[in-house]
Amino acid sequence: MCLCGCTQAPADVHGNPASTTTGGIRSITVTGSTTVLPIAQSAAETYMDDHADADIKVSGGGSGVGVQAIGEGTADIGMSSRELTTDETSEYPGLVVTTVAGDGIAVVVNPANTVNSLTLAQIKDIYQARITNWKEVGGPDKVIVLIGRDSASGTRSFFTEMVLEKENAAPTMLEQNSNGGVLQSVAQTPGAIGYISIGYLDNTVKGLDLLVDGNQITPTVANVKSGQYPVSRPLLMITRGAPQGLSKSYLDFILSPDGQKIVADQGYITLN
Amino acid sequence: MEVNAAEGAKGSDIPAGKTRGMLRVKESILKSIWFLCAIFAVVTIFFILVFLFWDGYPIFAQVGVWNFITGMTWNPTGNPPMYGIFPLIVGTVLVTIGAMVISIPLGIGSALYISELAPAGVKAVVKPAIELLAGIPSVVFGFFGLVVLTSWIQVTFDVPTGQTWLAGSILLGIMALPTIISVSEDAISSVPREFKEGSLAVGANHWQTISRVIVPGALSGITAAIILGMGRALGETMAVLMVTGNAAIIPSPIWNVLSPIRTLTGTLGIEMGEVAIGSTHFHALFGVAVVLLVITLGVNLMATAILGRIRERQMPTGEKKKNLLFCAIARSGWMGGVRNATPWIGAVLLTGLMFLLSGAGAAVLTLGMTGGVITTRRRIPPRLVQKIAFALIALSIVVVLVVLGIILWDIVSKGIGYISWDFLTQSPRDLGRAGGIFPALVGTLYLVIGAIAIALPLGLGAAVYLTEYTREGKITRMIRTGADLLNGTPSIVFGLFGFAFLVLYLNFGVSLIAGQITLALMVLPTIIRTTEEALKTVPCSVREGSLALGATKWQTISRVVIPPAMPGIITGTILSIGRAAGETAPILFTAVVFSQRFLPTSLFEPVMALPYHLYILATNVPGAQGYQYATALVLLMLVIAIYSVAIVIRYHYQKTLHW
Repeated sequence: MCLCGCTQAPADVHGNPASTTTGGIRSITVTGSTTVLPIAQSAAETYMDDHADADIKVSGGGSGVGVQAIGEGTADIGMSSRELTTDETSEYPGLVVTTVAGDGIAVVVNPANTVNSLTLAQIKDIYQARITNWKEVGGPDKVIVLIGRDSASGTRSFFTEMVLEKENAAPTMLEQNSNGGVLQSVAQTPGAIGYISIGYLDNTVKGLDLLVDGNQITPTVANVKSGQYPVSRPLLMITRGAPQGLSKSYLDFILSPDGQKIVADQGYITLN
Repeated sequence: MEVNAAEGAKGSDIPAGKTRGMLRVKESILKSIWFLCAIFAVVTIFFILVFLFWDGYPIFAQVGVWNFITGMTWNPTGNPPMYGIFPLIVGTVLVTIGAMVISIPLGIGSALYISELAPAGVKAVVKPAIELLAGIPSVVFGFFGLVVLTSWIQVTFDVPTGQTWLAGSILLGIMALPTIISVSEDAISSVPREFKEGSLAVGANHWQTISRVIVPGALSGITAAIILGMGRALGETMAVLMVTGNAAIIPSPIWNVLSPIRTLTGTLGIEMGEVAIGSTHFHALFGVAVVLLVITLGVNLMATAILGRIRERQMPTGEKKKNLLFCAIARSGWMGGVRNATPWIGAVLLTGLMFLLSGAGAAVLTLGMTGGVITTRRRIPPRLVQKIAFALIALSIVVVLVVLGIILWDIVSKGIGYISWDFLTQSPRDLGRAGGIFPALVGTLYLVIGAIAIALPLGLGAAVYLTEYTREGKITRMIRTGADLLNGTPSIVFGLFGFAFLVLYLNFGVSLIAGQITLALMVLPTIIRTTEEALKTVPCSVREGSLALGATKWQTISRVVIPPAMPGIITGTILSIGRAAGETAPILFTAVVFSQRFLPTSLFEPVMALPYHLYILATNVPGAQGYQYATALVLLMLVIAIYSVAIVIRYHYQKTLHW
C-alpha cells in the first residue's frame, strides 16, 4: 500500500517519513492547530486501538504550521482553526479542506466575578478599553484585565472579526499563545476577561452568557449547534489532493458517528 | 577518539626518521581538523544570519528599517496592520537588565561561597544542587512562574495581574544563575593557590584576599560567566512568554517593574506557530528575529571588547602565556582599578538581594545607603567589613537554595502521587491525561545523546584549537566571537533555522536527526567556552615540561593537558545535557510530535519528547495538572540521573589530580 507522500519524487520518501509503510506498519503525521489537536489525538488513539498496523503521529504548532506542513509535504494532514488565506491557497494549490467539527468561542471571566452576562457591544468596549472597570457593567469595583490570544492565532482573528468587527483591541491586552494559557490566566486573575475555544471551557473559569436581542445565550454546545450562540467557526483538516490510504480512512473515521462522538466528548460541536 | 587509538597502535617497530615524518603529517592533519571544528561556529552563525536576513528582508523593504525599529505599535493583524517593534525592544532590554540585577550578585556571591567559604561537605552538596537548577527545563520554570510566581506578585503588590516585567526578570534571573555560578566558580577555583597564600602571608584578611586578589584574578572567567548568563536570559522564550503578559506596551513610568511587558523572543514564541507562511506578518517575525540577533550581537561584541581590554592590560607586549602573567598583574596599575571597583560589586550584590526580597523601592534605598557606606568605608575596621561581606555571600547562596527548594518542592509534592510503573512504561492516553510517557522519555534520551555526540567532538576540537594552537589574533577573535554570538542566539531562532534549513531545505522532514543537529548547534558554544576555560587552567609549565621531554604537540594535549582539564570539560557537558534535555523551542518545529505509537526506528522519523509533552499538557490540555507535574518530575529525575553519573566521574578525576 502506497500512501500519498510516496507517489511524489523519490527524495520525498526520505523527507516525508510520515507516510511510509515499513514492516507492515502504516504511518501518517497530523500537525497544526492546537484547537483541533484534542480531536485529532483522541480520534487517533481510538482508531489505532482498532487497527494494530496504524501509527498516527499527532503534533501541535499552530494553524500556520499546519497549513505549511501540508503544503511543503512534511505532514500528511494539516489542522487549522481558520480558513486558508489567499496567500496560502496561491502558494500551495491543490490543498483539500475537510471540516471535521465546529467550535464556539466562549468569553470567560474569573469565577469570583459577579458579572454573568454581557452584550457583544459591551465586550467590544471592554476589549477596546472604553470600559476599564467591572463596576461599569454591573460588577465589582475592579480594574478589568484584558487577556487575549497572540496575533497569529486563528481564535484571535475569529474573535476580532466577529466581536471587535475587525477593529483593534487595546494594546494593554495581555497575550497568551494557547487556549490553556488564557484559561490559566483568567482562573488566577480576579479582574480578568478572556476568550477561549468552547472545548476548553471548565469550572476553573466562568463562561459569560451573551445578550443577543434581549435573549441570554449560554455558551454551550447545544446553543452553538442551534446557531443561537453567535460566535462559532469550523475546524479544518487539510490534505494535499483528496485524502488517500490511511489518511482517508482516518478522516472517514472522524466523520463517522463514532468519530463525531469523540468530537462531542472533547467538548466541540459535531457536524450536522 | 580514533586518533588516540591510532597513536597507541604506532609501535616502536617504525624507524625513528619515518616516525618523525609521520608525526609531523599527523600533527598538521590534527591541527586542520581542530581548525575546522573551531571555524564551524562561525560558519553556523553566518548561515543563521544570512537565512534570517533573507526571510526578514521583505518587511524592511516594505516598512523601512527605521519605521520598523522605532514604530510604537505592534499589531500585525490589526486594521491597518502595524509593524512597530520599539516596545518589544524596550521590553527585551528591561527584562534582561532586571534578570541581571538579580542573577549577577546572587551568582557571584554563590560562586564565592562555594569556592572560598564552604566547608568541603557543604560544597559537595551545594555544587551539584546548583547544577541541578540548570536542569530544570524552561517550560517548567514558565509553568511554575505562571502558577506560583505571578499569583504571588499579584497578591503581594496588589496589582490587577501578576504577569509583569518583575515576574519575567525573576524567572530569567533564576534561570541564568546556574550558568553564572558554575562558570564563575570554575574561574575562581582556578586562581593559583600561591596567590591566595601570598596575600594571606602579607597580612591581608580573607575578605581582602578575595576582593583584591582572587576576584580580580578570576575576572575574565567571571565576565565569561556573565555573558553566558546574559545570553541565556536574552534568548529565553518559553518561560518569558508564559509570565510577562505579552502586552506590547512600554512600562509607564519606564521603571515600573509591575507593568506587563513583551519581549522579542516572546513575540516569536507565541506568533510563529500560527502565522501564515509567506505573509507580511511572517516576514515581520523574521525581522523581529534579525533585530533580536543584532541586539545579542551588540551585547556580545561589547562584552568581548571589555574582555579583550582586560586581557590586553594583563598582557605585557609579546607575552603570550597567560599563566605566567599573574605576577605581572600584581604589580600593574590595573589592580588598583579593580580594587576600587570591588566595593561597588558588593553594593550591586546587596541591591540585587533587596530587589529580589522586597522590590524596587527598597533596592534603590539600599543602593544609596551602601553607596554612602562605601565612600566612608575607610573608617570601618576590616574585620567588620569581612563580617558584612561574608554575611552577604552566605545570604546569596541561601536565597539560591531556598528558590531551588521551593521549585523542587512544588514539583515533587504535586507530581509524586502520579508516578507509577505504568506511567513510565506506557504510551499516553486521552491526550496525556491518562496512560504514561514512555515514548517521550525515550525520545528525549535519543535527542540528547545525538546532540551531545555531535556537539562534544566539535566543541572539544574548537576549544583545543583556540587554547593550544593559536596566539590571540584575528582568527581566534573571530572564532570566539562566533561562538559567543551562537551562545547569544535565542533558542527559538535555532528552531526556526532548523526548520527552514534541515527540515525543508535538506529535506530531512520533521525528524530525530533534525532535532539532534539543532540542539547540538545550541549547546556547542557552552561546550567550547567551558572547555576553553578548563584547558586554560592547566599551567603552562606542565605543557613545557611535556614538550621538553620530546612529546609531540598532540601527545602533550591528549595525555598531559586534557586529563587534568577533564572536570571542567565535564561540567560544560553537564550544563549542555541539562539544557538540551529541557529545551522546547528548538525541537518544536524540527523533531517532535505530540504522540506516536511506536518508537522511532530511524533518524528520519519524528519523536516524542518530555519537554514538548509537558508544554502541550501545560498549555493545551485542561485537567491534566497531575500528569503535568508528574512529567516535570520525571524530566527532573532523568536529568538528576545524568548529572549524578557525570558528577561521580568528575569527583573521580578531581581525586586523582595533583599538580
